[in-house]
Amino acid sequence: MSPDGETADPRLQELVEGIVRLAAGDLEARLVASENGDEIDAVITGINLLAEELGHIHAELEERVAARTAMLRRTQVELELMAKTDALTGLANRHLLSERIRDAIAAASDAAKVPAVLVLDLDSFKAINDTLGHSAGDAVLVEVSRRLLSVVRAEDTVARLGGDEFAVLIDSATEEETLAIAQRARDALQESVKIGSETVWTTASIGVCIQRAGYSPEDLIRDADIAMYQAKSEGRNKVRRFHPDMLDAVLERSRITSELRSAAAGGELALLYQPVVELATGRIAGVEALVRWHHPVHGTIMPDLFIGIAEETGLILELGRWVLQEGIAQLGRWKAEAPELAGFGLHVNLSAAELLRNDLVDDVRETLSRHGVEPRRLVLEITETVLMSRGAGEEQILHRLRDLGVGLQIDDFGTGYSSISYLRSLPADTVKVDQSLIRNLESDPRQHKFVAAVLQLIAAAELNAIVEGIETEGQASRLQAMGCQYGQGYLYGRPVDAAQVLERLRGAVQPR
Amino acid sequence: MAPVIVDGGKGSVELDDGGYVHLRWLPKVDIQVEDARAAMATVNDVCQNQPHPMLVDMASVASVSREARAIWSIPCSASRIALLGRSPVDRVLANFFLGVHIPPCPTRFFTSRDDALAWLNSGQAGPTA
Repeated sequence: MSPDGETADPRLQELVEGIVRLAAGDLEARLVASENGDEIDAVITGINLLAEELGHIHAELEERVAARTAMLRRTQVELELMAKTDALTGLANRHLLSERIRDAIAAASDAAKVPAVLVLDLDSFKAINDTLGHSAGDAVLVEVSRRLLSVVRAEDTVARLGGDEFAVLIDSATEEETLAIAQRARDALQESVKIGSETVWTTASIGVCIQRAGYSPEDLIRDADIAMYQAKSEGRNKVRRFHPDMLDAVLERSRITSELRSAAAGGELALLYQPVVELATGRIAGVEALVRWHHPVHGTIMPDLFIGIAEETGLILELGRWVLQEGIAQLGRWKAEAPELAGFGLHVNLSAAELLRNDLVDDVRETLSRHGVEPRRLVLEITETVLMSRGAGEEQILHRLRDLGVGLQIDDFGTGYSSISYLRSLPADTVKVDQSLIRNLESDPRQHKFVAAVLQLIAAAELNAIVEGIETEGQASRLQAMGCQYGQGYLYGRPVDAAQVLERLRGAVQPR
Repeated sequence: MAPVIVDGGKGSVELDDGGYVHLRWLPKVDIQVEDARAAMATVNDVCQNQPHPMLVDMASVASVSREARAIWSIPCSASRIALLGRSPVDRVLANFFLGVHIPPCPTRFFTSRDDALAWLNSGQAGPTA
C-alpha cells in the first residue's frame, strides 16, 4: 500500500520478491514483464538480464577454476615425475628405484621368481670425461642408458644412481633369468660407443643381488653394490653375484683406506730399493724404489694390497708425492755420503693419476734442485697401458719431464696393448720387459725366440731394455747373449733399505 | 527489393532506397543465437558484403539471448548500426547489447525513426543513447 492510499502496482511487489530470491543465490530466478513495456517492465527486463549475466559469470568462473585445478594437478604429476627421474637420461632415479623395489618385494608371491637388483659401474668413465669432456661423457651415459633399456623386460626398471653408476630392478624372475639379464647387460656394453668422430669403449662392472627374506630395498642395493666392487677388483667388465664373504673384503678395504690416509704423515711408509744391474758387468746401474707400509698392528703390508685402493680413492697422489720426495731425498743423501758412487739412477713408479697432476713437473724440478740431484739421475717408470691411453694433458707433462732431463721408462712391457708402432713414438729412454715374458725362457725354445724378437724390437726403436724378474743364472746368460743390457730380479738382490744399498755398492755385501 | 525473410521467420531484411540495410524483428519474438546468425548472414547477403549503414527495428522484441547478443559483436556488412525501439524495455535491451559486448562499428539506440535515419546517413559517431 502506497502512502497516499492508492493501490501500488503489484509488479513492484514481485520485483522485491525477485530480488530477494536472487540475493538468496537463486540465479535462475526470473521475473515476467507485462505487455505495457513501461518503466517497471524495463526494470523487470533489466533485472532478468542482470541475473542472466551473473549466472553466466558464475558458470564461467567455475569452469576456469576447474580448468586451473586440472592444470595444477597435471603440473604436480609432472613435478613428481621429475623428482623421480634422472634429468640427463630420463631413467628412474634412486628414489623411484627404491619405491619400485619396495613394490616388487611386496608383490612377490612366487618363491621361484623373486626381485633382484643389479648395480652397474662404468669401468673407464672418468678417463672418457677427462679426455673428451663432459658433453661427450653425457652422450656416453645416454647411450649406455639406451643399451640397458634394450636388454631388460618391460616390467623391469633401469635407474641412474648418479655419476656413472646405474642400477636395474629385475621385477620378478628366476635365478637363471636374472643372471641372464645381467649377462645381456654386460654383453651390450662390449661394443664401442661412437661420440662424434671419437670411438670409446666403456664396459661395466656388474654386481647382482637376488632378494632374500627380510631384505629391504636398501639392503638389495647395498649388496649389489658390494658385488659390483668385487667385480671391479677382479678385473672389471664382469658380472659377480653377491656373497656374504664379499662383506669382509669391503670392510677390509675401508679400513685400509682410512688408515692409509694417515700412513704417510704418520711415518708408516718406507722405501726399499731393488738393484738394476748391467748384465755384462754386474755393475749396479740403478735402483727401483718400492714402497712398503709398516703398519703398527699388521706389520709390513705389500703394495699390491694397498696401491689399488690408493688409485681408486685418489690417495695415490699423496702416496706418489711422498715416494718421489723421499726417493730423491735419499738419492741426495747417498750422493752426500758417497759421492764416488754417484753414478746410478733412481727409478720411481708413476701412476696414471699422477700424470694428470699439473704440479708434477714443478714438484720434480724443485725436489731435485732442493736435494742437489741432477735430473738425469731420476727415471720415472710408467706402465705400458697408462702410456698408451695418454691424452693431450699427459703428453704435455711427459714432454716437459723429458725437457727437464728426467728419464722415462716404459714399465710392464709385454702385458698391455703391445702395438708395435707406439714404441717409436713414445717419449721414453728405456723399456722394462715384464717378468711374465721370461718365465719359461730356459725350457721353451719358442719363448726364447719370442723374447729375442722383443729385445730386437726395443733395440730397433733405439731404446734400452731392462728385463725384470731374473731369478736364475740361466735366464741371465741367455738374456745377455740376446743383447739385453740390463736386468732386475732376485738373482741380483731383493729390495733392501737405503743403508744396505750403499753397502752393496761398496761391495761389502754380496747379492743374495 | 522485396524483404528477405530471415531463416526462422522471426525477422526480415531489405535494402532500402535510402542506402541503408533494414533489419526488422517481429514483435514479441525471443531472439536466440540461431536467429541472430541467420539475420547476420542475410544482412551480409543483401549487402553483397559491401558496407552499409543498418537500421534495426527491435521495438517490442520479447528477449534477446546472451549468445544472440554475442553474435552481433562479430564484424559484418554494417558500417554503423541504429537500434530503433520505443519503450523503456527496448532501451534496456539495447543497452545490454551495447554495454556487455563491444560492437564492431558505431552503434546507437534511438526511439525516433527520423533521428535514427539522420544519424545513419550522417556518418557521424555520437554519444550512445
